[in-house]
Amino acid sequence: MVADEPTFARLMAAAQDGDKAATNVLLSEVGLWLERYFKRRVPPHSIDDLVQEVLIAFYTKRATWDPSRAFLPWLAAIARYRWVDHLRKVYKHDSKELFEDDAIEDSEEDVVLARVSLDRLFSQLPEKQAEAIELVKIGGLSIRETAERTGQSESLVKVNIHRGLKKLATLVEEVD
Amino acid sequence: MEKHPSREALIAALTEDLTPVKRVRPRDGAALIVFATIIAGIASLMIFGFWSGMITGEASPYYWISNGLLAVVGASSTAALVSSAVPKVGSRSSAPLWSTAMLAVLPLAAIITLMSIEAGHDHGLGLDDPGLMYWECAAYGLGASSIIAVAAIMFLRRGAPVSLDRAGWLVGLTSGSLGALAYNVTCPLDSLLHVGIWHVFPVFAGAVFWRYAAPSLIRW
Repeated sequence: MVADEPTFARLMAAAQDGDKAATNVLLSEVGLWLERYFKRRVPPHSIDDLVQEVLIAFYTKRATWDPSRAFLPWLAAIARYRWVDHLRKVYKHDSKELFEDDAIEDSEEDVVLARVSLDRLFSQLPEKQAEAIELVKIGGLSIRETAERTGQSESLVKVNIHRGLKKLATLVEEVD
Repeated sequence: MEKHPSREALIAALTEDLTPVKRVRPRDGAALIVFATIIAGIASLMIFGFWSGMITGEASPYYWISNGLLAVVGASSTAALVSSAVPKVGSRSSAPLWSTAMLAVLPLAAIITLMSIEAGHDHGLGLDDPGLMYWECAAYGLGASSIIAVAAIMFLRRGAPVSLDRAGWLVGLTSGSLGALAYNVTCPLDSLLHVGIWHVFPVFAGAVFWRYAAPSLIRW
């Protein structure tokens, strides 16, 4: 079971004061909380890397938490920032990683939820952009194959992916 | 930091040399920005001298209106900027946007006035206004704003801004408005055409510049 808000706040205050034992417990609990946070946001094989990344950011920026404010919204803001950054990196490097294998290991419910979340985001993009992203980034088709299938030129497919991903990142950032 | 084989190993490495931290407080950031503004003001006074017009009553209403609006933009954007250094979720202050929109009335008024003069209604103003072409004030204002921008970025780097684009805009609005204010109080040119264009230009130019320049400096 993951710690609750008062426990987190107490541990965090102690961590800011340099209490090593409290910091160890806090980091472990934050790690569990982050695992749940990222479970429906990133593919399972990326969760551990992302959790480690956020733990480092969390530790480095621990001085920015104000004890008079709630802890979990502060942690959620850091997690979301690193998540958006992670998405940018993944898309920027034109990752060939496909998520289908991971989906098999996942529960049916998670796959459906992930699909629903994606569809909701895609519904806010122009049709051509959503189509290009879906075929290349999720379907794994090449730019040329996508161009042939959609009737768009290769340059237009690239432009649509670029603009669509940029808009997706903005949409994700806007979600509070 | 290198990737660790397990989360436990990472936690052990992180807490190995744990020390107490000094909390990042928005009010410390505000104090730093006010201090930088005072430095910019003193530097402007030393370089350009003190204009006594504001004491003798010589300063026109445009002088007071423009500097007053710059102070309002500076205050609202400073408050939003120092607040943005601390991660949080939820609604964000729109005060900088609205105060900047109010400030934008000045250049709009100046442009409409210019068109009115062209149309034969001079309203006591003229295209021979020496302030109209004196663009150097904008450059001096931008120069003063760079001191404040450095302070703002230093503070943001200590903090953890989670919306880099917004923080970039705020760096530009804060430094542009307070830098222009720090310089403008020394300027004896106070016609609408001058203050409405050149005295507020640093705010808009600074906002656009820092929107693109700041994110890479404050990314964490």
